[in-house]
Amino acid sequence: MEIPFIVNARKDTGLFNSKVGIWLFLASEVTLFGGLFSGYLFLRLYADYPWPERALPVLPGLINTFVLIGSSVTVVFAWAALKMREWRKFQIYMAITLLCAALFMVLKGIEYNAKFHHQAVQIEGPGPVQGKGIIEGHVHYAEIKDGKLTEVKDKDRYHDEGVFPANRILIKASELTFVLKRPTHEAYVKEILKQAGDDYKITLAKDYRVPDEDELHEGGKNRVQLLASGKALVADAGSELSIDLLEEMEDSFLEARSHDKDIRTDFLAASWDWIRDEKGDDDLSTYVVEKDIWKERRKEDAKKFGPLMLSAPGEVTFKVDPPLILVMKPGDIPQFSKEQVKFRDDTVVKGEVLPSPIIMGVDAIDFRHTAMRAEAEGIEPMKAIEVSWILTHTDSHGGNDLKKAWNCHMAWLKYQTERLEKEGRVPSDNDKYRVNWDEMVAYQKLDLDPEAVYKAAGEDALYHSSLFDLKGFAGANHNEFDFPHVEIPRENVGFESTLTPKWNTYYAIYFTITGLHGLHVIGGALVLGYYLFFGRKMYDSNPEWLANRVEVGGLFWHFVDLVWIFLFPILYLM
Amino acid sequence: MAGSIEEVKKAKKLFMFIGLLLFFFTIVTVMVASVEWLDFGGHGFDAVDATIGLAIATFKASLVMLIFMHLNHERPLIYLFFGLGLLMAFFCMWLIGWSKSDPIQFGNPNSSDGFYNPDKPSTESHH
Amino acid sequence: MSADSQDHHEDHDHVLPFWKKYIFSTDHKTIGIQYGLSAGAFLLFGFFLMIVMRWSIAYPHEPIPGYLSWIFTDGWKARWLDDGMVTGETYNMFGAMHGTIMVFLGVVPLGFAAFGNYVTPLQIGAPDMAFPKLNMASYWAYLAGGLIMCMSFFMESGAAKSGWTNYSPLAGYADRQIVNQFLAGQTQWLIGLVLLITSSLLGSVNFVTTIIQLRAKGLTWMRLPFFVWAMLVTGFLLLLAFPPLEAAGIMQLMDRVTGSSFFMPSGLFSKEDGVLDISGSGSPLLFQHLFWFLGHPEVYVLLLPAIACVAEIIPCNTRKPLWGYKPMVWSIVALGFLSFVVWAHHMYLTGMGPVISTFFQTTTILISVPSVILLTSMIISLWGGSIRFTMPMIWAAAFLPMFGIGGLTGLPLAFNLADLHLHDTYYVIGHFHYVVAPGILFGLFAGVYHWYPKMTGRFMDNFLGHLHFWPSLICMNLLFFPMLTQGMAGFHRRWYNGGEGYIEKGTEGINVFGQTVAENISLNEVMTGAAIGLAIFQLPFLINMVVSYFWGKKITSDNPWDATTLEWATPTPPGHGNFTFDPAIYRGPYEYSRPDHDKDFFPQWEEPKRSIPAEEPSEKPDKETTEA
Repeated sequence: MEIPFIVNARKDTGLFNSKVGIWLFLASEVTLFGGLFSGYLFLRLYADYPWPERALPVLPGLINTFVLIGSSVTVVFAWAALKMREWRKFQIYMAITLLCAALFMVLKGIEYNAKFHHQAVQIEGPGPVQGKGIIEGHVHYAEIKDGKLTEVKDKDRYHDEGVFPANRILIKASELTFVLKRPTHEAYVKEILKQAGDDYKITLAKDYRVPDEDELHEGGKNRVQLLASGKALVADAGSELSIDLLEEMEDSFLEARSHDKDIRTDFLAASWDWIRDEKGDDDLSTYVVEKDIWKERRKEDAKKFGPLMLSAPGEVTFKVDPPLILVMKPGDIPQFSKEQVKFRDDTVVKGEVLPSPIIMGVDAIDFRHTAMRAEAEGIEPMKAIEVSWILTHTDSHGGNDLKKAWNCHMAWLKYQTERLEKEGRVPSDNDKYRVNWDEMVAYQKLDLDPEAVYKAAGEDALYHSSLFDLKGFAGANHNEFDFPHVEIPRENVGFESTLTPKWNTYYAIYFTITGLHGLHVIGGALVLGYYLFFGRKMYDSNPEWLANRVEVGGLFWHFVDLVWIFLFPILYLM
Repeated sequence: MAGSIEEVKKAKKLFMFIGLLLFFFTIVTVMVASVEWLDFGGHGFDAVDATIGLAIATFKASLVMLIFMHLNHERPLIYLFFGLGLLMAFFCMWLIGWSKSDPIQFGNPNSSDGFYNPDKPSTESHH
Repeated sequence: MSADSQDHHEDHDHVLPFWKKYIFSTDHKTIGIQYGLSAGAFLLFGFFLMIVMRWSIAYPHEPIPGYLSWIFTDGWKARWLDDGMVTGETYNMFGAMHGTIMVFLGVVPLGFAAFGNYVTPLQIGAPDMAFPKLNMASYWAYLAGGLIMCMSFFMESGAAKSGWTNYSPLAGYADRQIVNQFLAGQTQWLIGLVLLITSSLLGSVNFVTTIIQLRAKGLTWMRLPFFVWAMLVTGFLLLLAFPPLEAAGIMQLMDRVTGSSFFMPSGLFSKEDGVLDISGSGSPLLFQHLFWFLGHPEVYVLLLPAIACVAEIIPCNTRKPLWGYKPMVWSIVALGFLSFVVWAHHMYLTGMGPVISTFFQTTTILISVPSVILLTSMIISLWGGSIRFTMPMIWAAAFLPMFGIGGLTGLPLAFNLADLHLHDTYYVIGHFHYVVAPGILFGLFAGVYHWYPKMTGRFMDNFLGHLHFWPSLICMNLLFFPMLTQGMAGFHRRWYNGGEGYIEKGTEGINVFGQTVAENISLNEVMTGAAIGLAIFQLPFLINMVVSYFWGKKITSDNPWDATTLEWATPTPPGHGNFTFDPAIYRGPYEYSRPDHDKDFFPQWEEPKRSIPAEEPSEKPDKETTEA
């Protein structure tokens, strides 16, 4: 059997099958990206925070645009070479196309990586409006010394054991309570055991006992007696925490729960049989349960099945001796008070939550959200900004570099305002309320002296990152430049995240669309690569067939380019 | 569709030219966004910049579609497929946008017309 | 076609190993049957979930009986049932999965993928689908997606529990306690969905390409059986409507896995976690829009294959042409197009303004015009026919009024004023179940009985057929009609205990709503009984399927119904490559009872024998289709 029109076109449509197929597929791709762009539009137009305009370094995106356009040209050349039966040229052009795809993905990776390592913190604290300002930068590293969080200054030690990014929450744990109905705490137990090492003993606080099922039904003893017997013992008090131990207790608990529920269900079912069959009650079950006769019966039931219950405890508590300082990611802890934290899986850690500041080098301060909120509430934006924790705190050296940097920014803004006024323009919100990383570098170089900044700005001698500044290729370069250092106490940390989808809807849509586009690049490259490396056989048997295939693959490739042509301005320049 | 060898040869020159044109307009887009004397509209990013940026992008995309994807001379069916895709994507964006920008309004804020208005709790109607 | 002989598809003349012939098959017929059997299994499972739910609605204080609960393990019951009674959480889980399974894993694969796959290439005279391997990939992606979704029933989190529409922020928040989000039912649902969409896209590209490219000689557009037109339009619907949902699915997946806020508004608060650790500024409405951008066309994806089956069966069993073939074709095209711009009528209560509501109300009313043309044409087709009440015809005949009720009860919902009252009540449930269950499923049952002889070479048993049909018809109506009543009385669609909390007990109370609930709550028992009855009376069908395969009445010709369309020109069952001759088409699809022909049917492929020379079959599209 053969399928017609694989190579040659059908007369009435003028098309071969795969060409119809690819164009249909592209049409669906249009609506796929249509949906994503709808999302972008919707999220941007109705964002309740200032949309980060031109937030990405342009150069990687620009190079990637060139790379994709270039590959679009080479892929049509590869197709043309096949049409002219020039196998060698086809190989060369196709290879260049694939190299372009690889280069594109490498650059994408560099961009992504920079974002994954860029911390941002929304500040909590005094201030008349909801937005209290945002600090961006790189998190420094810390260790625990003398029971306290201590910054590690030596960058070479960043990857040593016991050194962790200084954005974690520290809990001096003396007691751990696990919920047995969740078989999902494995991840946390592993992490806790790893951090405990051999120096800490984590042991079961009291015996975990579940009465034996058979003895309960046949032995004629009551539960108190059964619990005291040896058969009831699942785990001794003093057993060390392990995943196996937890699993054992979990199994006993779950088994006991099944047993109990089974009996209760039987009693309930029997009572329904009784009231329907013997009492002939044909009311709705809703009405039946309101009746005294039913309530009486259920009371008697409870008396009967009560003694038959195994009633295994659903929680187990472990003691930690000596108290262990646990270093946990904030995302794992939805809620914490001073005395205890609760992990996502309801595991409770009792103890003391230690001071857990976020320590970071600051490469940007952003008050646009504060300004937006202030304006909405009729407050002078600068008034709201002035009282922010960012500008009012004192650091361990008794100063506040961020305040100084802000003062420099004000000096620069003064110059900028004057300059723009001459042209009849006004500074943008970005100018007014955001100190970007290149400004930060410039101010640091002028010793954070506002007057020097004003002067330098007038003479146009400020350091300004240009498009082609490779030091800032993927954003603020913390290896190259020094940035002000800040310690944000946990109570002043509002929402915090790296510049990942979590941080805001802009990064969410940025990662989603470019990620999906990246998958298209990889998919396209795989298909084109297949033609390059395994196409010879097809070429030898029927070169036109391969040319058709490459044309179809090329159409997809152009579409990928087409999407990027929109993505570049939308995500990088707007 | 470029079928014969001569046509393909001729088309190669065109492809090259289009590629260069795309490079050029990419640079123009970046300049409009970054060079001050090309910053139209107000200072900094605004709707004018967005319009120019998207217009250039649309132009570039059309070049890719028309020349690289041969949509300048294609079979009617292809136009139908792609056109339907574009139309549906447009419906998706347009109608979602419209439904969000058409708010429910609570009566006339300036006069008491008897309609419910959450901002102006009515005191009379209850008595 | 010398170039095509290079085609490196395996030469299928030799015998294929079992796994290649029946498991990883690229033959459209095998894939169609695979789809059919899988979809059937999913339908039964979804139906089972529903019966458990209906039990809870009618008897909220009684443990589910042994004949329903034997399937669960003790551990599962202990986790998800409260002393054997269905909990609200479990009800939500079952409800969400019932909808998902019925729509995405049951009816669409059965209608579009199973019937479409089996019948379409045969009806257009093609040897197979245009891309057989994609066809296989489509099936396996579907099965993987379905299994992933259903497997989550056995996880700690349970399966998805935020409704089949999976609205955020509920769906974005549910199962947050699971540390590894990939092991949460709510996440698995999304992964499954992405696989299902992939499957649909592969399938729809394949269908449209096949119909456009592989039509036999002379099979011009207006000679296509209506079934093929329906498949073409359905293919386009899936192709263009599903991707925005895929985008939404991916965004929701990001919300769950990376903590983003696409659909999570600012300031979201939960009792367990306080103010959530998210950035906010997302829009739950955006999800609803993207969901219903698919969701509404999906309704027609469900519907069109059923109408397609019925439109084939009616002319064949009335022995007269389909009345208004051309208007029907144009209607179905218009219907497909309009279905893209009506979606927000599912969202009247989300705070859209009056202008946009009016827009969607208008388009929604507009779309009822082609729907009515379709149904009316089929009803008129019955007029004056010499109807053979064969098993398929009985189902098809029942489809007409049942679908009619479903369609007409939809009209009040199209008006936003009436929808204010009816939204989210059992009225809505009654409406769309009338469309889907006694409507679409009856149409598809008709299809099964109609094409079964072609698939197996044997008829299905008539007695068992009747035993299947009549009780089903009665139970369906007892099950769904009370819903309309209850809905108008204000019963909310998500009450897991049937509304007992809302009963006004005194007769003199001022709570009118509570009184209407009290008056209608006993209907719950009727409906639950009907649901169980309906389940029991599917047994004859299942038995029939198996028994007839081995012992059914053998067919005596390849065209046992004396039908006119091309699938009956193949051997029975059709071998690989389908046709034993090169099919050419000489006339329209429904040439029954032509006075100038000696038999009462004139198949499309039969060469004209009259002295007037026949019109040469051509490959050119030909708008004027009537035979010379």
